[in-house]
Amino acid sequence: MVKIRLFCAAGMSTSVLVNKMRKVAEAKGIEVEIDAHPEGQMTKLLDGVDVALLGPQVGYTLSKAKKICGEKNIPIEIIPMMDYGMVNGEKVLDLALKLAGK
Amino acid sequence: MSTNFKDTIINSVMKAVNTKGVLALKEGILYTLPLTMVGSIFLLLAQLPIKALNDWFTSIFGPAWTEPLFQVYNATFAIIALVSVITIAYAYAKNSGHDGLMAGILSLVVFLITTSSSVTDAASGVTIGGVIPRAWTGGQGMVTAIIIGLIVGALYSKLLDKNLSIKMPDGVPEGVTKQFAALIPAAIIFTGAMLVYIFFNVALKTTFIEWIYMVIQYPLQNLTDSLPAIMLICAIAPFLWVFGVHGTSIVTGVMDGIFLANTMANQAIIDSGLALTLENGAKIVTKQFFDNFIIMTGTGITIGLVVAMIIAGKSAQSKALGKIAIFPAIFNINEPVTFGFPIVMNPLTFVPFVLIGPIAALITYTAIAIGFMPPFGGVMVPWTTPPIISGFIVAGWQGALVQIILLATSVLIYFPFFKKQDAIHLKNENEASGELI
Repeated sequence: MVKIRLFCAAGMSTSVLVNKMRKVAEAKGIEVEIDAHPEGQMTKLLDGVDVALLGPQVGYTLSKAKKICGEKNIPIEIIPMMDYGMVNGEKVLDLALKLAGK
Repeated sequence: MSTNFKDTIINSVMKAVNTKGVLALKEGILYTLPLTMVGSIFLLLAQLPIKALNDWFTSIFGPAWTEPLFQVYNATFAIIALVSVITIAYAYAKNSGHDGLMAGILSLVVFLITTSSSVTDAASGVTIGGVIPRAWTGGQGMVTAIIIGLIVGALYSKLLDKNLSIKMPDGVPEGVTKQFAALIPAAIIFTGAMLVYIFFNVALKTTFIEWIYMVIQYPLQNLTDSLPAIMLICAIAPFLWVFGVHGTSIVTGVMDGIFLANTMANQAIIDSGLALTLENGAKIVTKQFFDNFIIMTGTGITIGLVVAMIIAGKSAQSKALGKIAIFPAIFNINEPVTFGFPIVMNPLTFVPFVLIGPIAALITYTAIAIGFMPPFGGVMVPWTTPPIISGFIVAGWQGALVQIILLATSVLIYFPFFKKQDAIHLKNENEASGELI
Protein backbone atom coordinates (compact mmCIF):
# COMPACT_ATOMS: atom_id res chain seq x y z
CA MET A 1 0.00 0.00 0.00
CA VAL A 2 1.45 3.33 -1.07
CA LYS A 3 0.15 6.36 0.78
CA ILE A 4 0.25 9.49 -1.40
CA ARG A 5 -0.66 13.01 -0.31
CA LEU A 6 -1.29 15.89 -2.71
CA PHE A 7 -1.18 19.46 -1.42
CA CYS A 8 -2.60 22.52 -3.18
CA ALA A 9 -4.11 25.87 -2.19
CA ALA A 10 -7.50 24.79 -0.85
CA GLY A 11 -7.40 21.05 -1.56
CA MET A 12 -10.12 21.52 -4.17
CA SER A 13 -8.54 21.77 -7.59
CA THR A 14 -6.36 18.78 -6.84
CA SER A 15 -9.25 16.49 -5.96
CA VAL A 16 -10.03 16.01 -9.67
CA LEU A 17 -6.49 14.79 -10.22
CA VAL A 18 -6.76 12.50 -7.21
CA ASN A 19 -9.78 10.74 -8.69
CA LYS A 20 -7.94 10.18 -11.95
CA MET A 21 -4.91 8.80 -10.14
CA ARG A 22 -7.06 6.40 -8.14
CA LYS A 23 -8.66 5.09 -11.32
CA VAL A 24 -5.30 4.58 -13.00
CA ALA A 25 -3.96 2.79 -9.93
CA GLU A 26 -7.01 0.56 -9.80
CA ALA A 27 -6.68 -0.31 -13.48
CA LYS A 28 -3.04 -1.19 -12.95
CA GLY A 29 -3.78 -3.15 -9.81
CA ILE A 30 -1.58 -0.96 -7.60
CA GLU A 31 -2.75 -0.53 -4.02
CA VAL A 32 -2.71 3.15 -3.16
CA GLU A 33 -4.26 5.60 -0.75
CA ILE A 34 -4.40 9.09 -2.28
CA ASP A 35 -5.82 12.27 -0.74
CA ALA A 36 -5.68 16.01 -1.44
CA HIS A 37 -5.34 18.67 1.26
CA PRO A 38 -4.55 22.37 1.63
CA GLU A 39 -0.83 22.99 1.77
CA GLY A 40 -1.21 24.89 5.07
CA GLN A 41 -2.26 21.69 6.86
CA MET A 42 0.73 19.66 5.76
CA THR A 43 2.29 19.26 9.20
CA LYS A 44 -0.72 17.41 10.57
CA LEU A 45 -1.24 15.08 7.64
CA LEU A 46 2.02 13.27 7.12
CA ASP A 47 1.66 10.26 9.40
CA GLY A 48 2.60 7.11 7.52
CA VAL A 49 2.78 8.96 4.21
CA ASP A 50 5.13 7.49 1.60
CA VAL A 51 5.29 10.43 -0.77
CA ALA A 52 3.94 14.00 -0.94
CA LEU A 53 3.31 16.10 -4.05
CA LEU A 54 2.75 19.84 -4.34
CA GLY A 55 0.38 21.49 -6.81
CA PRO A 56 2.32 23.84 -9.10
CA GLN A 57 0.34 26.86 -7.86
CA VAL A 58 1.82 26.39 -4.41
CA GLY A 59 5.20 25.34 -5.79
CA TYR A 60 6.74 28.35 -4.08
CA THR A 61 6.23 26.65 -0.73
CA LEU A 62 8.60 23.84 -1.75
CA SER A 63 11.44 24.92 0.53
CA LYS A 64 9.11 25.07 3.54
CA ALA A 65 7.51 21.78 2.52
CA LYS A 66 10.90 20.11 2.06
CA LYS A 67 11.81 21.07 5.60
CA ILE A 68 8.59 19.62 7.02
CA CYS A 69 8.77 16.44 4.94
CA GLY A 70 12.52 16.12 5.36
CA GLU A 71 12.11 15.65 9.10
CA LYS A 72 9.95 12.62 8.40
CA ASN A 73 12.01 11.40 5.44
CA ILE A 74 9.12 11.81 3.04
CA PRO A 75 10.07 12.62 -0.55
CA ILE A 76 8.28 15.66 -1.96
CA GLU A 77 8.19 17.17 -5.43
CA ILE A 78 6.15 19.68 -7.45
CA ILE A 79 3.71 18.21 -9.96
CA PRO A 80 4.73 19.30 -13.50
CA MET A 81 2.47 22.08 -14.73
CA MET A 82 1.18 20.36 -17.86
CA ASP A 83 0.41 17.07 -16.12
CA TYR A 84 -1.48 19.02 -13.50
CA GLY A 85 -3.40 21.11 -16.01
CA MET A 86 -4.33 18.20 -18.23
CA VAL A 87 -5.19 16.11 -15.16
CA ASN A 88 -2.84 13.39 -16.34
CA GLY A 89 -3.42 10.88 -13.55
CA GLU A 90 -1.12 8.29 -15.04
CA LYS A 91 1.97 10.51 -15.25
CA VAL A 92 1.46 11.96 -11.79
CA LEU A 93 0.95 8.50 -10.32
CA ASP A 94 4.15 7.33 -11.99
CA LEU A 95 5.98 10.31 -10.53
CA ALA A 96 4.66 9.55 -7.06
CA LEU A 97 5.58 5.88 -7.26
CA LYS A 98 9.05 6.72 -8.57
CA LEU A 99 9.64 9.16 -5.69
CA ALA A 100 8.37 6.64 -3.18
CA GLY A 101 10.79 4.12 -4.67
CA LYS A 102 8.09 1.57 -5.39
CA MET B 1 10.80 34.05 -20.69
CA SER B 2 13.98 32.54 -19.36
CA THR B 3 13.90 30.36 -16.31
CA ASN B 4 16.23 32.74 -14.50
CA PHE B 5 13.98 35.72 -15.04
CA LYS B 6 10.96 33.73 -13.87
CA ASP B 7 12.77 32.49 -10.79
CA THR B 8 13.93 35.98 -9.86
CA ILE B 9 10.42 37.39 -10.06
CA ILE B 10 8.82 34.50 -8.23
CA ASN B 11 11.47 34.60 -5.56
CA SER B 12 11.04 38.31 -4.89
CA VAL B 13 7.25 38.07 -4.92
CA MET B 14 7.36 35.05 -2.68
CA LYS B 15 9.71 36.68 -0.26
CA ALA B 16 7.08 39.33 0.35
CA VAL B 17 4.21 36.88 0.36
CA ASN B 18 5.79 34.17 2.42
CA THR B 19 6.60 36.41 5.31
CA LYS B 20 5.22 35.03 8.52
CA GLY B 21 2.81 37.94 8.82
CA VAL B 22 1.08 37.40 5.50
CA LEU B 23 0.87 33.65 6.03
CA ALA B 24 -0.60 34.09 9.50
CA LEU B 25 -3.12 36.60 8.21
CA LYS B 26 -4.19 34.29 5.40
CA GLU B 27 -4.46 31.23 7.60
CA GLY B 28 -6.01 33.10 10.52
CA ILE B 29 -8.85 34.64 8.57
CA LEU B 30 -9.59 31.29 6.93
CA TYR B 31 -10.83 30.08 10.32
CA THR B 32 -13.67 32.62 10.22
CA LEU B 33 -15.14 30.99 7.11
CA PRO B 34 -17.78 28.93 8.94
CA LEU B 35 -18.87 32.05 10.82
CA THR B 36 -19.45 34.16 7.75
CA MET B 37 -20.66 31.49 5.35
CA VAL B 38 -22.96 29.54 7.66
CA GLY B 39 -23.93 32.70 9.53
CA SER B 40 -25.05 34.01 6.14
CA ILE B 41 -27.64 31.27 5.79
CA PHE B 42 -29.32 32.35 9.02
CA LEU B 43 -29.17 35.99 7.95
CA LEU B 44 -30.66 35.10 4.57
CA LEU B 45 -33.55 33.30 6.26
CA ALA B 46 -34.09 36.23 8.63
CA GLN B 47 -34.41 38.75 5.82
CA LEU B 48 -35.94 36.83 2.95
CA PRO B 49 -36.69 39.18 0.11
CA ILE B 50 -40.15 37.65 -0.34
CA LYS B 51 -42.76 39.66 1.54
CA ALA B 52 -45.58 37.10 1.27
CA LEU B 53 -43.39 34.43 2.86
CA ASN B 54 -42.32 36.81 5.65
CA ASP B 55 -45.94 37.69 6.38
CA TRP B 56 -46.87 34.04 6.42
CA PHE B 57 -44.12 33.20 8.94
CA THR B 58 -45.17 36.18 11.05
CA SER B 59 -48.77 34.94 11.09
CA ILE B 60 -47.67 31.48 12.27
CA PHE B 61 -44.77 32.21 14.64
CA GLY B 62 -45.56 35.79 15.66
CA PRO B 63 -43.63 38.97 14.86
CA ALA B 64 -40.54 37.85 16.77
CA TRP B 65 -39.93 34.78 14.60
CA THR B 66 -36.65 36.13 13.26
CA GLU B 67 -35.20 36.69 16.73
CA PRO B 68 -33.46 33.27 17.04
CA LEU B 69 -32.05 33.70 13.54
CA PHE B 70 -30.54 37.06 14.47
CA GLN B 71 -29.19 35.47 17.65
CA VAL B 72 -27.10 33.17 15.44
CA TYR B 73 -26.18 36.03 13.13
CA ASN B 74 -24.99 38.14 16.06
CA ALA B 75 -22.95 35.29 17.49
CA THR B 76 -21.16 34.74 14.16
CA PHE B 77 -20.88 37.93 12.09
CA ALA B 78 -20.74 40.28 15.02
CA ILE B 79 -17.75 38.58 16.67
CA ILE B 80 -15.61 38.07 13.60
CA ALA B 81 -12.88 40.43 14.87
CA LEU B 82 -12.91 38.71 18.26
CA VAL B 83 -12.34 35.37 16.55
CA SER B 84 -9.76 36.70 14.07
CA VAL B 85 -7.64 38.19 16.83
CA ILE B 86 -7.33 34.67 18.28
CA THR B 87 -6.82 32.76 15.04
CA ILE B 88 -4.24 35.13 13.53
CA ALA B 89 -2.04 35.02 16.63
CA TYR B 90 -2.61 31.26 16.74
CA ALA B 91 -1.46 30.81 13.14
CA TYR B 92 1.57 33.04 13.64
CA ALA B 93 2.81 31.28 16.77
CA LYS B 94 2.05 27.82 15.39
CA ASN B 95 4.01 28.56 12.20
CA SER B 96 6.88 29.72 14.38
CA GLY B 97 6.83 26.39 16.20
CA HIS B 98 5.19 27.55 19.42
CA ASP B 99 1.95 26.84 21.29
CA GLY B 100 -0.59 28.48 18.99
CA LEU B 101 -3.58 28.35 21.28
CA MET B 102 -1.75 30.12 24.09
CA ALA B 103 -0.76 32.93 21.72
CA GLY B 104 -4.39 33.15 20.60
CA ILE B 105 -5.59 33.46 24.17
CA LEU B 106 -3.06 36.19 24.99
CA SER B 107 -4.08 37.99 21.82
CA LEU B 108 -7.74 37.91 22.83
CA VAL B 109 -6.82 39.39 26.21
CA VAL B 110 -4.90 42.22 24.54
CA PHE B 111 -7.88 42.92 22.29
CA LEU B 112 -10.11 43.24 25.36
CA ILE B 113 -7.58 45.34 27.29
CA THR B 114 -7.33 47.87 24.49
CA THR B 115 -11.09 48.02 23.83
CA SER B 116 -13.59 50.08 25.77
CA SER B 117 -15.44 48.13 28.44
CA SER B 118 -18.48 50.35 28.44
CA VAL B 119 -21.13 51.43 25.97
CA THR B 120 -23.01 54.69 25.80
CA ASP B 121 -26.58 54.70 24.61
CA ALA B 122 -26.73 57.37 21.92
CA ALA B 123 -30.35 58.28 22.62
CA SER B 124 -30.26 58.71 26.40
CA GLY B 125 -26.56 59.32 26.95
CA VAL B 126 -26.49 56.63 29.65
CA THR B 127 -23.21 54.72 29.92
CA ILE B 128 -23.21 51.10 30.99
CA GLY B 129 -19.99 49.46 32.13
CA GLY B 130 -18.87 45.87 32.36
CA VAL B 131 -19.56 44.95 28.78
CA ILE B 132 -17.72 43.84 25.66
CA PRO B 133 -19.14 46.25 23.09
CA ARG B 134 -20.34 44.30 20.08
CA ALA B 135 -19.84 47.38 17.91
CA TRP B 136 -16.11 46.62 17.99
CA THR B 137 -16.06 42.83 17.95
CA GLY B 138 -17.39 42.61 14.39
CA GLY B 139 -16.48 44.30 11.12
CA GLN B 140 -15.36 47.58 12.68
CA GLY B 141 -12.73 45.82 14.75
CA MET B 142 -11.23 43.85 11.86
CA VAL B 143 -8.07 45.88 11.23
CA THR B 144 -7.35 46.15 14.95
CA ALA B 145 -7.81 42.39 15.23
CA ILE B 146 -5.28 41.88 12.44
CA ILE B 147 -2.78 44.28 14.00
CA ILE B 148 -3.11 42.82 17.50
CA GLY B 149 -3.12 39.23 16.24
CA LEU B 150 0.10 39.75 14.29
CA ILE B 151 1.88 41.74 17.01
CA VAL B 152 0.98 39.36 19.82
CA GLY B 153 1.77 36.31 17.68
CA ALA B 154 5.16 37.75 16.77
CA LEU B 155 5.98 39.03 20.24
CA TYR B 156 4.98 35.78 21.93
CA SER B 157 7.10 33.77 19.50
CA LYS B 158 10.09 36.13 19.85
CA LEU B 159 9.96 36.08 23.64
CA LEU B 160 9.87 32.29 23.70
CA ASP B 161 12.67 32.13 21.12
CA LYS B 162 14.77 34.28 23.43
CA ASN B 163 14.02 31.80 26.21
CA LEU B 164 12.32 34.45 28.28
CA SER B 165 10.23 31.92 30.09
CA ILE B 166 10.26 30.08 33.39
CA LYS B 167 12.13 26.80 32.97
CA MET B 168 10.81 23.73 34.71
CA PRO B 169 13.05 20.86 35.84
CA ASP B 170 12.82 17.58 33.86
CA GLY B 171 10.03 15.33 35.05
CA VAL B 172 7.48 18.11 35.37
CA PRO B 173 4.50 17.14 33.17
CA GLU B 174 4.48 18.82 29.78
CA GLY B 175 1.11 20.49 30.38
CA VAL B 176 2.46 22.23 33.46
CA THR B 177 5.64 23.31 31.64
CA LYS B 178 3.57 24.75 28.82
CA GLN B 179 1.45 26.80 31.20
CA PHE B 180 4.48 28.23 32.92
CA ALA B 181 6.26 28.92 29.65
CA ALA B 182 3.58 31.45 28.81
CA LEU B 183 3.76 33.37 32.08
CA ILE B 184 6.58 35.81 31.40
CA PRO B 185 5.53 36.56 27.80
CA ALA B 186 1.98 37.05 29.07
CA ALA B 187 3.10 39.48 31.77
CA ILE B 188 5.13 41.51 29.27
CA ILE B 189 2.38 41.52 26.64
CA PHE B 190 -0.41 42.45 29.08
CA THR B 191 1.68 45.28 30.54
CA GLY B 192 2.35 46.61 27.06
CA ALA B 193 -1.35 46.43 26.25
CA MET B 194 -2.20 48.32 29.42
CA LEU B 195 0.26 51.08 28.52
CA VAL B 196 -1.36 51.31 25.10
CA TYR B 197 -4.76 51.55 26.78
CA ILE B 198 -3.53 54.31 29.11
CA PHE B 199 -1.88 56.23 26.28
CA PHE B 200 -4.98 56.30 24.10
CA ASN B 201 -7.24 56.97 27.07
CA VAL B 202 -5.22 59.85 28.50
CA ALA B 203 -3.52 61.40 25.49
CA LEU B 204 -6.17 60.92 22.84
CA LYS B 205 -9.35 60.42 24.90
CA THR B 206 -10.23 57.35 22.92
CA THR B 207 -9.41 53.63 22.73
CA PHE B 208 -6.87 51.89 20.54
CA ILE B 209 -9.55 50.12 18.52
CA GLU B 210 -11.54 53.30 17.86
CA TRP B 211 -8.40 55.19 16.90
CA ILE B 212 -7.27 52.44 14.48
CA TYR B 213 -10.74 52.40 12.99
CA MET B 214 -10.79 56.16 12.43
CA VAL B 215 -7.19 56.54 11.27
CA ILE B 216 -6.51 53.31 9.37
CA GLN B 217 -9.52 51.08 8.79
CA TYR B 218 -12.10 53.65 7.70
CA PRO B 219 -9.76 55.28 5.13
CA LEU B 220 -8.65 51.82 3.93
CA GLN B 221 -12.25 50.72 3.52
CA ASN B 222 -13.02 53.82 1.48
CA LEU B 223 -9.85 53.47 -0.56
CA THR B 224 -10.67 49.85 -1.40
CA ASP B 225 -14.14 51.01 -2.33
CA SER B 226 -12.78 53.36 -5.01
CA LEU B 227 -12.78 52.25 -8.64
CA PRO B 228 -9.05 52.73 -9.39
CA ALA B 229 -8.03 50.81 -6.26
CA ILE B 230 -10.28 47.83 -6.89
CA MET B 231 -9.26 47.71 -10.55
CA LEU B 232 -5.64 47.53 -9.45
CA ILE B 233 -6.40 44.82 -6.90
CA CYS B 234 -8.25 42.84 -9.57
CA ALA B 235 -5.20 43.02 -11.84
CA ILE B 236 -2.73 41.88 -9.17
CA ALA B 237 -4.35 38.47 -8.61
CA PRO B 238 -4.15 37.33 -12.26
CA PHE B 239 -0.74 38.99 -12.69
CA LEU B 240 0.69 36.74 -9.98
CA TRP B 241 -1.06 33.74 -11.51
CA VAL B 242 0.86 34.33 -14.76
CA PHE B 243 3.97 33.42 -12.80
CA GLY B 244 2.36 30.25 -11.55
CA VAL B 245 1.66 31.65 -8.12
CA HIS B 246 -1.80 31.35 -6.55
CA GLY B 247 -2.41 35.10 -6.81
CA THR B 248 -5.98 34.99 -5.62
CA SER B 249 -5.20 33.30 -2.36
CA ILE B 250 -2.53 35.94 -1.76
CA VAL B 251 -4.76 38.90 -2.64
CA THR B 252 -7.70 37.64 -0.59
CA GLY B 253 -5.32 36.77 2.22
CA VAL B 254 -4.35 40.41 2.52
CA MET B 255 -7.63 42.03 1.46
CA ASP B 256 -10.32 39.79 2.98
CA GLY B 257 -10.24 41.72 6.26
CA ILE B 258 -11.19 44.93 4.44
CA PHE B 259 -13.63 43.21 2.06
CA LEU B 260 -15.38 41.63 5.03
CA ALA B 261 -15.43 44.92 6.94
CA ASN B 262 -17.17 46.53 3.96
CA THR B 263 -19.71 43.70 3.75
CA MET B 264 -20.47 44.14 7.42
CA ALA B 265 -20.65 47.91 7.17
CA ASN B 266 -23.39 47.37 4.58
CA GLN B 267 -25.24 44.91 6.78
CA ALA B 268 -24.97 47.42 9.64
CA ILE B 269 -26.85 49.92 7.46
CA ILE B 270 -29.64 47.37 6.95
CA ASP B 271 -29.64 46.56 10.69
CA SER B 272 -30.08 50.22 11.55
CA GLY B 273 -33.33 50.22 9.58
CA LEU B 274 -32.10 52.27 6.63
CA ALA B 275 -32.27 51.25 3.00
CA LEU B 276 -28.99 49.91 1.62
CA THR B 277 -28.20 52.65 -0.88
CA LEU B 278 -25.05 54.54 -1.80
CA GLU B 279 -26.65 57.71 -0.37
CA ASN B 280 -26.83 55.98 3.00
CA GLY B 281 -23.15 55.11 2.82
CA ALA B 282 -23.29 51.62 1.31
CA LYS B 283 -19.98 50.24 0.06
CA ILE B 284 -19.68 48.86 -3.47
CA VAL B 285 -16.58 46.72 -3.08
CA THR B 286 -17.29 43.92 -0.62
CA LYS B 287 -16.34 40.30 -0.24
CA GLN B 288 -19.11 39.27 -2.64
CA PHE B 289 -17.80 41.75 -5.24
CA PHE B 290 -14.49 39.92 -5.42
CA ASP B 291 -15.51 36.31 -4.64
CA ASN B 292 -18.60 36.06 -6.81
CA PHE B 293 -17.90 38.46 -9.68
CA ILE B 294 -14.17 39.05 -10.19
CA ILE B 295 -12.96 35.46 -9.79
CA MET B 296 -16.07 33.84 -11.23
CA THR B 297 -15.22 30.53 -13.04
CA GLY B 298 -11.74 31.00 -11.64
CA THR B 299 -9.26 33.88 -11.54
CA GLY B 300 -9.30 35.75 -14.84
CA ILE B 301 -12.87 34.56 -15.61
CA THR B 302 -11.42 31.89 -17.92
CA ILE B 303 -14.80 30.42 -18.87
CA GLY B 304 -14.38 32.12 -22.27
CA LEU B 305 -11.40 29.89 -23.01
CA VAL B 306 -13.22 26.77 -21.87
CA VAL B 307 -16.27 27.51 -23.99
CA ALA B 308 -14.07 28.27 -26.99
CA MET B 309 -12.14 25.03 -26.54
CA ILE B 310 -15.35 23.00 -26.48
CA ILE B 311 -17.11 24.76 -29.36
CA ALA B 312 -14.28 25.85 -31.63
CA GLY B 313 -11.29 23.73 -30.57
CA LYS B 314 -9.49 22.11 -33.51
CA SER B 315 -6.41 20.71 -31.76
CA ALA B 316 -6.59 17.51 -29.72
CA GLN B 317 -5.13 19.42 -26.78
CA SER B 318 -7.97 21.99 -26.79
CA LYS B 319 -10.68 19.37 -27.23
CA ALA B 320 -9.37 17.26 -24.36
CA LEU B 321 -8.76 20.20 -22.04
CA GLY B 322 -12.19 21.72 -22.71
CA LYS B 323 -13.85 18.55 -21.47
CA ILE B 324 -11.60 18.40 -18.41
CA ALA B 325 -11.99 22.08 -17.53
CA ILE B 326 -15.72 22.68 -17.88
CA PHE B 327 -16.98 21.08 -14.65
CA PRO B 328 -14.37 22.62 -12.36
CA ALA B 329 -15.11 25.97 -14.08
CA ILE B 330 -18.76 25.77 -13.07
CA PHE B 331 -17.56 25.68 -9.47
CA ASN B 332 -15.07 28.51 -10.12
CA ILE B 333 -11.97 26.34 -10.22
CA ASN B 334 -9.68 26.87 -13.19
CA GLU B 335 -6.35 25.21 -12.49
CA PRO B 336 -6.82 22.93 -15.53
CA VAL B 337 -6.99 26.08 -17.68
CA THR B 338 -4.20 28.02 -16.01
CA PHE B 339 -1.78 25.10 -16.14
CA GLY B 340 -3.11 23.15 -19.12
CA PHE B 341 -4.00 25.81 -21.70
CA PRO B 342 -1.62 27.17 -20.39
CA ILE B 343 -1.89 30.66 -18.98
CA VAL B 344 1.02 30.34 -16.60
CA MET B 345 4.19 31.70 -18.26
CA ASN B 346 2.35 32.11 -21.56
CA PRO B 347 2.98 35.56 -23.12
CA LEU B 348 0.07 35.07 -25.52
CA THR B 349 -2.65 35.06 -22.86
CA PHE B 350 -0.95 37.58 -20.59
CA VAL B 351 -2.87 40.64 -21.78
CA PRO B 352 -6.45 39.29 -21.77
CA PHE B 353 -5.91 37.31 -18.55
CA VAL B 354 -4.58 40.27 -16.57
CA LEU B 355 -6.95 42.81 -18.11
CA ILE B 356 -10.21 40.93 -17.64
CA GLY B 357 -10.02 41.40 -13.85
CA PRO B 358 -10.06 45.22 -14.01
CA ILE B 359 -12.68 45.08 -16.79
CA ALA B 360 -14.92 42.86 -14.67
CA ALA B 361 -14.36 45.23 -11.75
CA LEU B 362 -15.38 48.18 -13.93
CA ILE B 363 -18.57 46.45 -15.10
CA THR B 364 -19.59 45.25 -11.64
CA TYR B 365 -18.73 48.59 -10.05
CA THR B 366 -20.69 50.53 -12.64
CA ALA B 367 -23.70 48.23 -12.28
CA ILE B 368 -23.91 49.18 -8.60
CA ALA B 369 -22.87 52.83 -9.00
CA ILE B 370 -25.63 53.59 -11.52
CA GLY B 371 -28.19 51.90 -9.31
CA PHE B 372 -28.87 48.89 -11.51
CA MET B 373 -27.59 46.26 -9.10
CA PRO B 374 -28.22 46.72 -5.35
CA PRO B 375 -25.13 46.94 -3.08
CA PHE B 376 -24.34 43.67 -1.31
CA GLY B 377 -25.73 43.11 2.19
CA GLY B 378 -24.46 40.60 4.72
CA VAL B 379 -25.55 37.53 2.77
CA MET B 380 -22.50 35.73 1.39
CA VAL B 381 -22.03 32.49 -0.49
CA PRO B 382 -18.84 30.43 -0.73
CA TRP B 383 -16.65 31.31 -3.72
CA THR B 384 -17.27 27.82 -5.11
CA THR B 385 -20.97 28.56 -5.68
CA PRO B 386 -21.67 28.40 -9.46
CA PRO B 387 -22.09 31.74 -11.23
CA ILE B 388 -25.62 33.02 -11.92
CA ILE B 389 -26.77 31.14 -8.80
CA SER B 390 -24.29 33.03 -6.62
CA GLY B 391 -25.22 36.35 -8.24
CA PHE B 392 -28.89 35.67 -7.70
CA ILE B 393 -28.41 34.89 -4.02
CA VAL B 394 -26.21 37.89 -3.20
CA ALA B 395 -27.87 40.53 -5.43
CA GLY B 396 -31.12 39.19 -6.90
CA TRP B 397 -31.84 38.85 -10.62
CA GLN B 398 -29.69 41.90 -11.32
CA GLY B 399 -26.71 40.06 -9.82
CA ALA B 400 -27.38 37.06 -12.05
CA LEU B 401 -27.64 39.32 -15.10
CA VAL B 402 -24.38 41.13 -14.35
CA GLN B 403 -22.70 37.74 -14.05
CA ILE B 404 -24.11 36.69 -17.43
CA ILE B 405 -22.70 39.90 -18.93
CA LEU B 406 -19.29 39.08 -17.41
CA LEU B 407 -19.42 35.53 -18.82
CA ALA B 408 -20.18 36.91 -22.28
CA THR B 409 -17.38 39.48 -21.92
CA SER B 410 -14.98 36.67 -21.11
CA VAL B 411 -15.90 34.76 -24.29
CA LEU B 412 -15.44 37.89 -26.42
CA ILE B 413 -12.13 38.91 -24.89
CA TYR B 414 -10.49 35.50 -24.96
CA PHE B 415 -11.68 34.25 -28.35
CA PRO B 416 -9.01 35.80 -30.62
CA PHE B 417 -6.27 34.67 -28.24
CA PHE B 418 -7.77 31.22 -28.07
CA LYS B 419 -7.70 30.92 -31.90
CA LYS B 420 -3.98 31.68 -31.92
CA GLN B 421 -3.14 29.24 -29.14
CA ASP B 422 -5.30 26.53 -30.71
CA ALA B 423 -3.49 27.00 -34.02
CA ILE B 424 -0.15 26.63 -32.23
CA HIS B 425 -1.32 23.41 -30.58
CA LEU B 426 -2.60 22.10 -33.90
CA LYS B 427 0.66 22.88 -35.65
CA ASN B 428 2.66 21.14 -32.92
CA GLU B 429 0.40 18.13 -33.08
CA ASN B 430 0.67 17.89 -36.87
CA GLU B 431 4.44 18.19 -36.70
CA ALA B 432 4.64 15.56 -33.99
CA SER B 433 2.52 13.10 -35.94
CA GLY B 434 4.49 13.97 -39.09
CA GLU B 435 7.68 12.96 -37.32
CA LEU B 436 6.16 9.65 -36.35
CA ILE B 437 5.31 8.84 -39.94
